[in-house]
Amino acid sequence: MEIIIIGAGDIGYQSARRFSKEKHNISLIESNEALANFASDTLDAFVITGNGCSSSVLKEAGVDKADVLAALTDNDEVNILACKIAKKHGVKTTIARVRNPEYLHEDHIISKEEFGVDYFLQPEKETADTIVRLIRQSNATDIIEFEGGKLKFFGLRLDSSSPLLHKKLMDLGIELNNPPLTVTAIKRGQHTIVPKGSDILLPGDQIYMVCAPYYQDTALEYLGKTKKAIENILIIGGGLTATFVAMELDGEINMKIIESDEKKALAIAEKLNKSLVIHGDGSNLDLLMSENLDSMDQFIAITGDDETNIITSIVAQHIGVKRTVSLIKKSEYLPLTPALNLDAVVSKQQITVNAITRLIKGDGIAKFAELPGLDAEIVEFVVKDKSKITRKPIMHLKIPKGAVLGAILRDEELIIPKGNTQIVAGDKVVVFSLPDSFPSVESLFE
Amino acid sequence: MNIKLVLRVLAFLSIFLGIGMLLPLPFSYYYGSGDETALMESAAVCFAIGLFVFIPKDISKDFKTKDGFAIVTFGWIIMALLGSLPYLFSGSIPNFTNAIFETMSGFTTTGSTILTDIEALPKGILFWRSITHWLGGMGIIVLTIAILPFLGIAGMQLFKAESSGPFSEKLKPRITHTAKLLWTIYVVLTIAEVLLLMSGGMSFYDSINHAFATMATGGFSTKNASIVGQTAYIQYVLIAFMVLAGTNFSLHYYFVNGNWRVYFKSPEFRFYFFSILLASLLIFFNIYTQYNGAIELAFRDSLFQVVSLTTCTGFASADYELWSSTSQVILLLMMMGGGMAGSTAGGIKTVRLILLFKFTYNQFVKVLHPRAVVPLRIGSRYVDDKTVLDVLGFFMLYIVILASSVLLLTVFGLDFVSSIGAVVTAMSGVGPGLNLVGPMDNFSFLPDASKWLLSFLMLAGRLELLTVIILLSPNYWKK
Repeated sequence: MEIIIIGAGDIGYQSARRFSKEKHNISLIESNEALANFASDTLDAFVITGNGCSSSVLKEAGVDKADVLAALTDNDEVNILACKIAKKHGVKTTIARVRNPEYLHEDHIISKEEFGVDYFLQPEKETADTIVRLIRQSNATDIIEFEGGKLKFFGLRLDSSSPLLHKKLMDLGIELNNPPLTVTAIKRGQHTIVPKGSDILLPGDQIYMVCAPYYQDTALEYLGKTKKAIENILIIGGGLTATFVAMELDGEINMKIIESDEKKALAIAEKLNKSLVIHGDGSNLDLLMSENLDSMDQFIAITGDDETNIITSIVAQHIGVKRTVSLIKKSEYLPLTPALNLDAVVSKQQITVNAITRLIKGDGIAKFAELPGLDAEIVEFVVKDKSKITRKPIMHLKIPKGAVLGAILRDEELIIPKGNTQIVAGDKVVVFSLPDSFPSVESLFE
Repeated sequence: MNIKLVLRVLAFLSIFLGIGMLLPLPFSYYYGSGDETALMESAAVCFAIGLFVFIPKDISKDFKTKDGFAIVTFGWIIMALLGSLPYLFSGSIPNFTNAIFETMSGFTTTGSTILTDIEALPKGILFWRSITHWLGGMGIIVLTIAILPFLGIAGMQLFKAESSGPFSEKLKPRITHTAKLLWTIYVVLTIAEVLLLMSGGMSFYDSINHAFATMATGGFSTKNASIVGQTAYIQYVLIAFMVLAGTNFSLHYYFVNGNWRVYFKSPEFRFYFFSILLASLLIFFNIYTQYNGAIELAFRDSLFQVVSLTTCTGFASADYELWSSTSQVILLLMMMGGGMAGSTAGGIKTVRLILLFKFTYNQFVKVLHPRAVVPLRIGSRYVDDKTVLDVLGFFMLYIVILASSVLLLTVFGLDFVSSIGAVVTAMSGVGPGLNLVGPMDNFSFLPDASKWLLSFLMLAGRLELLTVIILLSPNYWKK
């Protein structure tokens, strides 16, 4: 596919890199010369230095033949205008990143169609939603919801108190009467294991599973993760993401927010009724201690600075905060997070790239996700008529070794796949796959 | 350095060369020239090496920018070694040094030869000699990139290291597609030239050889007399295709895509085109008295020689050593300047010359108005300081290498004028030089040391100096 991406900032660059690897033809437009040069040296893409909403620059990027235009700069108006121009040139799919939620209101005076935007992306809002989920479900390190919560994917770290340790997975299934869940992966040290029935669980394993929502608390308890009540949380960073998080949780939980920029602190304070906003440096440990970091239930580090987020989270864990969530921007840091023993990690770049990937991959895929620190893809396929996977029961299909069918949703009903399960058109199948196996998985659903 | 990836690329190069060595076989059989065994043996060696080195599996794509220089340089050295096998096996050029010189001259599209009687070579070997031109012209590494998608981002670094000019232009988002496109244009132009030459009465064999030598701006002819005595039609066809081969190939691409005015819109092309015209006219006025009224011939000879030397092809339609010193100096300067970036021509390249002139002019403005802001532009395109510094560095390197090589050649016993001619012709990839190495002479009388030096200069010049010279820097090999 011919894809034009505007903006080579973190999000634009990561998207370009991902889609270029998947054999799409990428034209990348960036106005900052240094960023453009860097992208041009490191990506197999056509990089143009210029303004993304200039008609002549877009023409140079091949807008007349492009299938997708993703405008991902941090300027809403540039993004929307670029989509508008692209639509006029006949680009099929336009994606605009916006920060200001106003543009998405249903009663906004200009409609999506009039803007020429097919999909609005709100990286800050989506990141905030993920963080809120992690705050509410404090015993998991990763949560992905499918079909509006009808099915959930969890990542969690096993404590030594779990009653399930050192037993084979297939024995556990019998012991618990075939629970509605599938363990799709175990991350042990740096290795990602796609488990077989004979594998056992060890303390310190990070496990990933697909689970029916009604069973999630039971499952988490078995795994040694009881849900704790949350009363107090401390957030450092008061940017847009933090604002979305705080607005969602205001009044539900007792929150303190620390922001170093006075104007931003004031802006966030104006939007909140019951939470306390403090103007101060979030990386200052004395300040954190004087705000009772040690008696917090959760510590959420979402400043714009990765190093601050990582270090303060480690400090918080060290003095006994049970739950930390850290926002990390640099993709190079993500593989290190398990080694740093960080509790939950969120990457705005990754969440956004996931969202765009789904849009670009099209109708057959309802959800696409990659998780920080895990080199794998979690995908929800919508089974098409006559696709290969519907031809035989699962045991006769050639499913690659690095992939697991996690769960099937058929007419609101959850099915945990077994050897004799027959997949039919219209099913929604959640698949976990290592990157190498993913192309063969995709071809099964063709 | 990612040794496995390097080996994989080198293996492919060997296999491509092996295939290239089989291409002359139809001519060998047709003419019964008796060189097929030598060609097949050489091809077998290439395939054996290719398959042996090919074996490493699970190649990681980790690739550092600097690895590109080593891959390209070593790739070219291996090409020269393997490419000399047909000469050695067939006994056409029994001396190793001479065989390497001839091969290097072929791949770098120089066209200098050590052969005294070209027509005595078997037809198959002679065709292989032209193929070395044709493969080296657009770049065999670029061909590798076009055919092998696995290189990815590594391919781009290789492309930069092999292609010419300070900007590496991409025509398509993917480097593989860009490389394919360039080769397609190259092949189409070559076929067009073969047809035009044949319609002028040249035999199929000679047409294809000359087309290879023209499009690669090489200069190997299949005739001892080169182009002297060919009809006016043939000479004008050659002139036209030399000009096309010396033009930036992306302009051809835009032209085919319906942008009819792209050539004269490009400031580089205007500079290239009008400097050729100007030099031809100057030489014409300088020499026409020698032609006793054959005005058209005088004009054609001037134009042909200027085009041939500016594009660094090196075909000879006349012996310019019989012309005045003024004309010879003009030709020498045109040889140094060379053709456009992104073409198959050699030399400093038009775009660098324009930048150097504009930079110097801006210095004058800055002396008069110390606070003046004078951006450097080519047409409407702004050129940043980094590029200008790169070009200045390139020019400095060029002068240093030129001076020290001339010095070395005189040490090896060559006279001053011939040394200058030999060094410039090797660095620009032209072919003929001045005085003892002029258009009607050859390089066989030089001592071995001089031949090795010139072979090195041809390689360094073809890869635009930095790619090769940087490997000589100890810093490159430090971890």
